[in-house]
Amino acid sequence: MISDNIIRNFIIPLTQVLVILGVASGAVAYMTLVERKILAFMQLRLSPRRVGPHGLLQPIADGIKLLLKEDITPDKADRILFTLAPIVTVIPAFTALAVIPFSGGGTFQIFGYQVTPWIADVNVGLVFLLAISSLGIYGIMLGGWASNSKYPMLGALRSAAQMVSYEVPFGFSIIGVMMLSGTASMVGIVEAQREAHVWYFLPQIFGLFVFFVSGVAETNRLPFDLPEAEAELVAGFHTEYTGMKFALYMLAEYTSMIVVASIVTTLFFGGWLRPFPNVEALGFLNLGLDRIHPVLPGYFWFLLKTFLVLFVYLWLRGTFPRYRYDQLMRLGWYWMIPLSIMNVIVTGGVVLLLRR
Amino acid sequence: MKIQAFLQKVLLLELWQGMWVTLKNQFRPHITVEYPKETVEFPPRFRGVPRLRKDPQTGEELCVSCLLCEAICPTECISIVSEKRPDGKGKQLISFTINYERCCFCGLCVDPCPTKPITAIYMSHDYEFAGFDRDSYVTAREELVDGKPVKIYTS
Repeated sequence: MISDNIIRNFIIPLTQVLVILGVASGAVAYMTLVERKILAFMQLRLSPRRVGPHGLLQPIADGIKLLLKEDITPDKADRILFTLAPIVTVIPAFTALAVIPFSGGGTFQIFGYQVTPWIADVNVGLVFLLAISSLGIYGIMLGGWASNSKYPMLGALRSAAQMVSYEVPFGFSIIGVMMLSGTASMVGIVEAQREAHVWYFLPQIFGLFVFFVSGVAETNRLPFDLPEAEAELVAGFHTEYTGMKFALYMLAEYTSMIVVASIVTTLFFGGWLRPFPNVEALGFLNLGLDRIHPVLPGYFWFLLKTFLVLFVYLWLRGTFPRYRYDQLMRLGWYWMIPLSIMNVIVTGGVVLLLRR
Repeated sequence: MKIQAFLQKVLLLELWQGMWVTLKNQFRPHITVEYPKETVEFPPRFRGVPRLRKDPQTGEELCVSCLLCEAICPTECISIVSEKRPDGKGKQLISFTINYERCCFCGLCVDPCPTKPITAIYMSHDYEFAGFDRDSYVTAREELVDGKPVKIYTS
């Protein structure tokens, strides 16, 4: 009844999108719990552990709480923009997940159909990611402006300046990876790392550093969370937001954290590849000791690496105090941009020499 | 020396030092407790709300109604009513009330208490005395001796 064509071109991509959205939302929910736990352990506190065993149901309780909260729109706010802003923030954050390859090794066979473990392998994947991640700032600007209130406005202005400044090193730092791999497709970059016999974090150590620091600044996380600096700006751009709209902002923030961590994994830590992917003797890391059945498949390694990168995120949050605004700008313009440009020049020179 | 300072700046040594501290501390045991379920142990001189006590051996009333604690109390939160003992000398209590609303936990009432070696009024280790109305803070003698009923928290 349903033709083969419809299944292949509509139902399978839809299922992929839904599965990845579901997994990402679940990951976001539990990311909040993991964050609170790790921060608590770093500060020698107990973590949330009342709801469920060891607090494992805490994210669900939080979600229910946010759903049931009163949804307030301030009197003087611009109603349409105020409602639109969180949606505008969330959509790019989730869209970025489209080009991230979660696993490799070709395709899965499900009911006789070929299913790829990524939604789309665009040949300009990295450029797409840069474009999408720059869109997130519009939601924050709109939210700050539409609230018609002082502190959200200040937070949004800071956010705009910060995200625009760090957009530059963010873009420059991945050029090195593009030059080394010769492609902008995310799958192609991982395959290039397999062929290069080394993950790119070694030749691109400065690129990794600049990319990660700018990534933290792009997602407005500590120590660069100037847009929502509690001590100065109440809560920054989402001061006036309550209930589900606030939850959407949080969802966007944590999703972009996960996206940046996945990009770091893909570009610099070999994506779904196991450690030393070309050493046959270590094959049991993928296939188990009998070398036939996959025990630790690609997505396991991808998730492990992504989690480790996310842990570094939280680790930074637990360690460093918030930067002052001028220090943040100085770090961006005086250190990150020159460093990333130097990285591009040196990598380009080395690639040119090796190609000869 | 200059090279050392330069390297320290370039390799972000201070940042790594800070990261190492937080990484190490993760594996230390926590120093907070899950409060209503478990409570911390207090040092013996901790000053909770003042309470009355009876002689632990004989079970007799220790307070001799000398009014010294009422006199010294800076917030005047203690009020004592007593009468002459019908049998023999001394006085006996009719009522002994402490208004916890006003009590400032200074512990001055314990110092002049003449009953030796155990003072009749003492600073207990009770501190959970939240209430819903102001009347519940005016504490009568029976509750001063026995303490508030303790609520056991579960789960």
